[in-house]
This record gives sequence, C-alpha cells and structure tokens, in this order.
Amino acid sequence: MTPNLLTITGIGSVSPYGALAGLIPQSTAEPEPEPVTAWPTAGLRRAFLVKPFRPASVVPGLKTRRLDRLSAWALVASSLALQDAGIDLSQMDQNKMDQNKTDQNKNDQNKTDQNKNDQNKTDQNKVDRSRVAVVFGTGFGCAELTEAFYQSAAVNGWRGTDPSPFPEGLANAPASHVALWHGLRGPNITLGSKGVAAESALIQAASLLRRGQADLAIVLAGDTLTRAIYEWYEAAGLLSPACCNAEPLPGSPQEPGGSVLSGFIPSEGVVALVLEPAGRREARAYAHFNSGRWMTGGQPVESIRQMLGGAVPSLVICAGSGLPCANGSTTALAREISGADAAIVSPRTAPPQIVPPNAVAAGLPDTSAFLHLILALSSRPRGGQALLLGTSGSGTSGSGTSGDRGFAALLLELPCP
Amino acid sequence: MTGRRMNDPSKTIVVTGIGVVSPYGIGLDCLQAGMLSGKCCLTPTKDLYPGFEGSTAHVGTLPLAAKENTPRYSRSDRLAMVAARDAVRESGRESAAFRASGVMMASTVAGLSEIDPAIAHDPAAWYRNGDGLLRAASYPAAHVADAVGDDLGIGGPRCAISAACASSAMAIALAANLLLDGAAPMMLAGGSDALCPFTLSGFNSLQALDPDPCRPFDQNRKGLNLGEGAAVLVLETLDRAMARNANILAVLRGWAMTNDAFHSTAPQAQGNGLADCMRLAMEMAEARCDDIGYVNAHGTGTPLNDVAESNAYETTFHSRSRPVPVSSTKSYFGHCLGAAGALEAAITIMAVRCGALLPTLRLTDPIESPSVNWLRGGIQRETLPVAMSVSAGFGGSNTALIFGSSGFGNGLA
Repeated sequence: MTPNLLTITGIGSVSPYGALAGLIPQSTAEPEPEPVTAWPTAGLRRAFLVKPFRPASVVPGLKTRRLDRLSAWALVASSLALQDAGIDLSQMDQNKMDQNKTDQNKNDQNKTDQNKNDQNKTDQNKVDRSRVAVVFGTGFGCAELTEAFYQSAAVNGWRGTDPSPFPEGLANAPASHVALWHGLRGPNITLGSKGVAAESALIQAASLLRRGQADLAIVLAGDTLTRAIYEWYEAAGLLSPACCNAEPLPGSPQEPGGSVLSGFIPSEGVVALVLEPAGRREARAYAHFNSGRWMTGGQPVESIRQMLGGAVPSLVICAGSGLPCANGSTTALAREISGADAAIVSPRTAPPQIVPPNAVAAGLPDTSAFLHLILALSSRPRGGQALLLGTSGSGTSGSGTSGDRGFAALLLELPCP
Repeated sequence: MTGRRMNDPSKTIVVTGIGVVSPYGIGLDCLQAGMLSGKCCLTPTKDLYPGFEGSTAHVGTLPLAAKENTPRYSRSDRLAMVAARDAVRESGRESAAFRASGVMMASTVAGLSEIDPAIAHDPAAWYRNGDGLLRAASYPAAHVADAVGDDLGIGGPRCAISAACASSAMAIALAANLLLDGAAPMMLAGGSDALCPFTLSGFNSLQALDPDPCRPFDQNRKGLNLGEGAAVLVLETLDRAMARNANILAVLRGWAMTNDAFHSTAPQAQGNGLADCMRLAMEMAEARCDDIGYVNAHGTGTPLNDVAESNAYETTFHSRSRPVPVSSTKSYFGHCLGAAGALEAAITIMAVRCGALLPTLRLTDPIESPSVNWLRGGIQRETLPVAMSVSAGFGGSNTALIFGSSGFGNGLA
C-alpha cells in the first residue's frame, strides 16, 4: 500500500434498496419501478423510488421533521456510514482527546496489557470533529424546496414568497445539516459535475485528506426525484418506455442486456462513504482509493491507461450517468480499457470483468457511482484492482445527450474477500 | 514569508489571469478605476424589478454574439463566459496545457434566473412552451462550468461548487488543491451569479435586505444589498507559469475551509469557525497575524454576520502589534452571492498589487473591535506583502484565501 492510499471504511445508503448500513445483502430483492404518486401524472409513470420511512426508526434520535428528503437522507446515510465504520462521535473534540490522552497516561500505569489494547482501539475510533470534512456531490441539490419556492411565488407573487424553502433550498443545505448534526467543523463542500458528481466528490475528498486539510471525510452523493426533474426527462424524450407501462422489466436490472439497455428509468437516493487514510486505525476496508482521473475532453483511454500504469483491472464497474447514450459510452470505454475480449457480466456472476450500469442506480443521473460501487462490492468480487468508471453527457448542448467523452475514473484496490 | 512550500515552484500556486465582470464593467482595470474613484454602483431595485424596494447593483448588456444570447445559456453562464474570456485574454492561451485546463466555477443562482414561477403549476407544459426545455437545462450549477469550458474549448475536470456565499472562494481553494494533485496543468476558478427575482424574493422573504445602500460593520446596519457579477482567476503552479513566461499577478499563499456546524443560516456568534479558518490559512501561508496587511471582509451588512465576523477578527488578530486593516467592498456593488468570493479575491489581489486599501463606504459608526482598523473615509496607501480575503455563507461555510505579491520581479504593478 502506498502512503497515499485511502480506505473506504464505512457505507450508508438510502436508495430503492432501502436504508442500509454497509453493503446490500445478497438476499435483498431487486427493486421494480413503482408508480409515481407524489404528483399528478398523465397516465402511469414509474420510477425507482425510495420508499417512505421514518428516519428516526433507522437512526434513533435523528431529527428530520423540518428537512426536505435530500437533507434527511443525507443525515440517515451519513449516520449509517459512520456507524458502519465504527467511528465514535461522542468525544471527537481535540481538547477532549488531549484530556483523554492525559487521563489515559495516568491510568495506564494501573492497567493490564489487555485493558491498554482495548483502550487504544477505542481511542483509534475517535476523531477530532474539526478535522472531519463533508463532501457532497449532487446534480440537482434540494430541488424539492426550489420547486416549493417557485410554487410559493406562483401563488403569492415574488413579493410574498414563503421564506422557509429559500435558505434550505440551497444546494449545500444537506452537507451543512450533516455537519450540524454530527458537529463536524472541517471543510464542507457541495459540488456538481455533470454526470460524475459522485466521482468528483470522492476525488475532492481524497485531495483534502492527502493535503492534510482533514483527517477523515464523509463523502456523499445523491439526488431526489421531483416532478420538474421527471417531466424534464420525459419532455426531452429520455425516459424508457418501461416508465409508462406496467409490464415487469424484461430482465433483472443487474443482468446485462436487460432493462438497462432499453432506456432510462429515473431513480433517487443518497449514498455516504467514510473515507480515511489507510492504516489510520484498525477498521474494515471495503476498498482502497488509489487515484482518480477526471476530464471533459482529451483522450480518456490514454489517460486512464496512464493512471493504471500498464495494469488491467480485474473489474470495471460502469456507473453510467443514467442517460442511455452515456451508459453505452461507459460500457464502450470499459471495453477499450479492458480489451475487446472482456466479458460483460453481472456482478453476481464470477469472475466479473465489466459490470454494466445497473438500472436502479443508473437512474440517479449525476450521482449514481456510489450506488454502483456498493452494488458491485455487495457481490463480493475477488480482490485486485477495480475501476469505477463514469461518463458524462457533458457540455451545454441542452439535453445532456451529446454522448461526448467526459469521464471520471477511480482506481480502487479491493481487499481479498 | 519564505516557507517551505513557497520555495518549491511546483508547489507554489500563482495567479496568472484575472477576469472580472462587475457593475463597473468588464475587466480588472474597470473595477479598479471605479472603486478607487469611490463610485458606488448601487441603484434603486425598482428600476429593474418593479415592486422591490431597496438597492441593487446590476451589470449591463454583455458583449456576446447573438448565438451566445440564446436560452441555452443562463445569465450566470454568460457572466461567467465573459469573465473567463477576460481572464484568459490576460493569461494567454498556451496550447496543450491550456486545452487540458480545468474549470471550477461557483454559482448559487445558475439557471434559476431563466425559470419563472409558471413552472410550478405544470412543468411539462412549461417545457413544451417555447424554449422552456432548454432554459431549464441550465438549472444545475454544473452548467456554468460547462458553459465556460465549452466556450474556451478546454477539457480538464469541470466542477461547480455550492457553498452559498463562500462558494467561489471555495472554488479557488479547491482548484489550488487540484493543481497540487496534478489533476490539471491550469485551473480557471471563480464564480458567477446573476441578479434575478428568485434571489431578490428569497432575501426579501428573510427580511435580510437593507432598504438603503448597505452599511457593513456599522452599528446602524440594516442588512445587505444584492449585486451580480463574475470573476475568474487563472491558477497554475509557479514552475509552469515561469516556463511559459506568464505574467504572474499574485501568489495564492494559503487557503482554508471550515464549517461552523452551528446553524443553517446564522453564523456562530463568536465567529469561531471563521477564526479557525483564518488561522489555518495563515498556517498554510506560514504567515503570522502581523504579516496580514489587509483583510477584505465578507461584511454583508446583516446584523448577525458582521458581529460574528468582528469577533472572529478579535480572536485571530488580538495579538497583533497594531489593528488589522479591514473593509467590506460589498458596500460598492452589493453582495454577488456565489460570485462574491472570487470578486473579492480579485479586489484583494488588486490591493496587493497597487497598495491601495479601499474603505468601506458609508461606515460612520463602526462596531467596536479593538483589533480591527475599520477602513473608512479615504483610500489608505500601503505596501502590502500579504492580504487575506474572507468569505462565509449559509450553512456555516467559511473560506479564507491569502494572496501575496509575487516577488518574482515579473510583471508586478
């Protein structure tokens, strides 16, 4: 492991698979698109939706009553990820940590070796809250509240708008709520990058850790599906026919050649990852982040090969961007990197080589990569190098369908199962 | 000020281009001439937006071709494109490195200026009506970065930063990180925000707007005024800049980002998060608090912000041998939200380059703060080796940037 290696030690997710800590159990049923009922539709409209749940029933004590779904999900996902990582948030302030160290030194004289080891492990799990960063990738931010503010303006005029959705509707509100709830005073960053917001969030978080600007990062990515977003995709002609009929999907969302290739079914959710320097403490490693490439133009294949340094990853996880042409270009790019002979297979088939975009995750247009990652990790792939690959329908062509070669590629090292 | 990082040209971040679109016009020269003349650009809001009281500052018509004045681009996109062209005009377009440049742009408004409340009743109908589909496509903040990148034909990483009013200062800080990581040979970093009914209405509903021209740090301040504009800095490492004989305008010596973790909208009253942020930036810059010759404050003019910020200055600068000179240049052309941090970074660099410390306009009865020399009245002339720009925003975000003169004998004013 290089000194710059970073480790994903915790995962939390709120997605159509449910609200989960850690990987998605193999026994979890594949979600099916559900009828949209949150707004009036012209006939049946379906999407992969997060089922309503009470956040406090998942994370006891969590207060989300005044929050929009994106902020609430960010709180749930971050809490589950921290819990999954075994991070102790109870005494993370540096001054308290210093005091603890002093107390520990005093007590050490009277402790047995076993007690000392236990104490050391406990202390390893504590982090200085002022050194914890929150990095949140999102395509649309708090679109629900933005729409509520427009609704208020439509009803009352611009001079009579309801103040409550305005500040909470800022795109950085979810990351701020994560910081506020957990008391995290490190860098707090919200970013968007068309089609690859999740990947860029991980790259930025890695940069903060490697530059010594934070000791630990909670990296999140997510979006909510709203009426204006759904109807924009429909008006742009990007939705799968499966959105408008009640037919079961032609294949499992994870099976190549299944529903994923027939079009775009919108989805929603938030995934949170805990990222920290490898070896900082004894903790489970889901994957190690090695490096990332992120460009809008140029030569993606050459750039990624340069990053790989001649190696061929054993697994390429295609994140897609949710748009059919981008899904296609991601898979094509994966083939160019892995070689024409590489098999495009489901992650549930061993040994995997190229995992195509998953329909459930692909419907998170800008933030799908983390859900694709945990779906792939949930299939318990063998160890080795993995490439998480996303492409963007980037540019200002309007529809986001230009299919150009903007991409983000994250090189991960998977521990042996 | 000869720290380890500063001695390594590959780890020293320099500014080689500054593009500005402000209510004074296009270009840093325009901004400098306007501000040094003491001109205030705030005008009655009702002239542009009937029904709204108070004052705002507005950028006029932009010099864009007809094909660029299409619904494909929001006004925030257009402001950003003009600022980026201005920045690149100054810094030069080195072929291969320039094409691989990254874009890190901030915007809080982005395409919201192009969407009207009718969308709320029936989005599908609004999209079908004329160019609604195209206008709505500019809604994500990432669109601003794409507009700049596509316009200049550059293909490095593109990203939009949203940290409320600290957004574009944060964009500059994160762009510097990416340069040090080797993610791109050059970065265009900044922010752009258009004035529009959405934000006017939002701040009006929060009762945060001063009905008169704002008075940051005054005991009698009543709130903020909104403005619009864009600023883009061209950042690169010193070794690259020297290799192409670029005109080095300033050195970005230090930067830091923190969060208050206190409240969704209100700053922590003691300004602890902001003070931490300034301390961390000074540590990175290897600067003592006595080294900071000027602070361009966030200084919105709201009752809560200015007290918290003053307290942060007390914490940070209480050990100085003399009070730190501080001013808020939002008193000249309002609060440009997502563009504010980048515009104020440009003004801070301007202060370093020409040694002119701009006063806060209309500051007659300053908040009591023994460690602060509130600049007011006339322009103070002083040689500035190092100056700091401070930004804060809703959600508790703080960013501090420290700029210094290049000292490399290359193109300094």
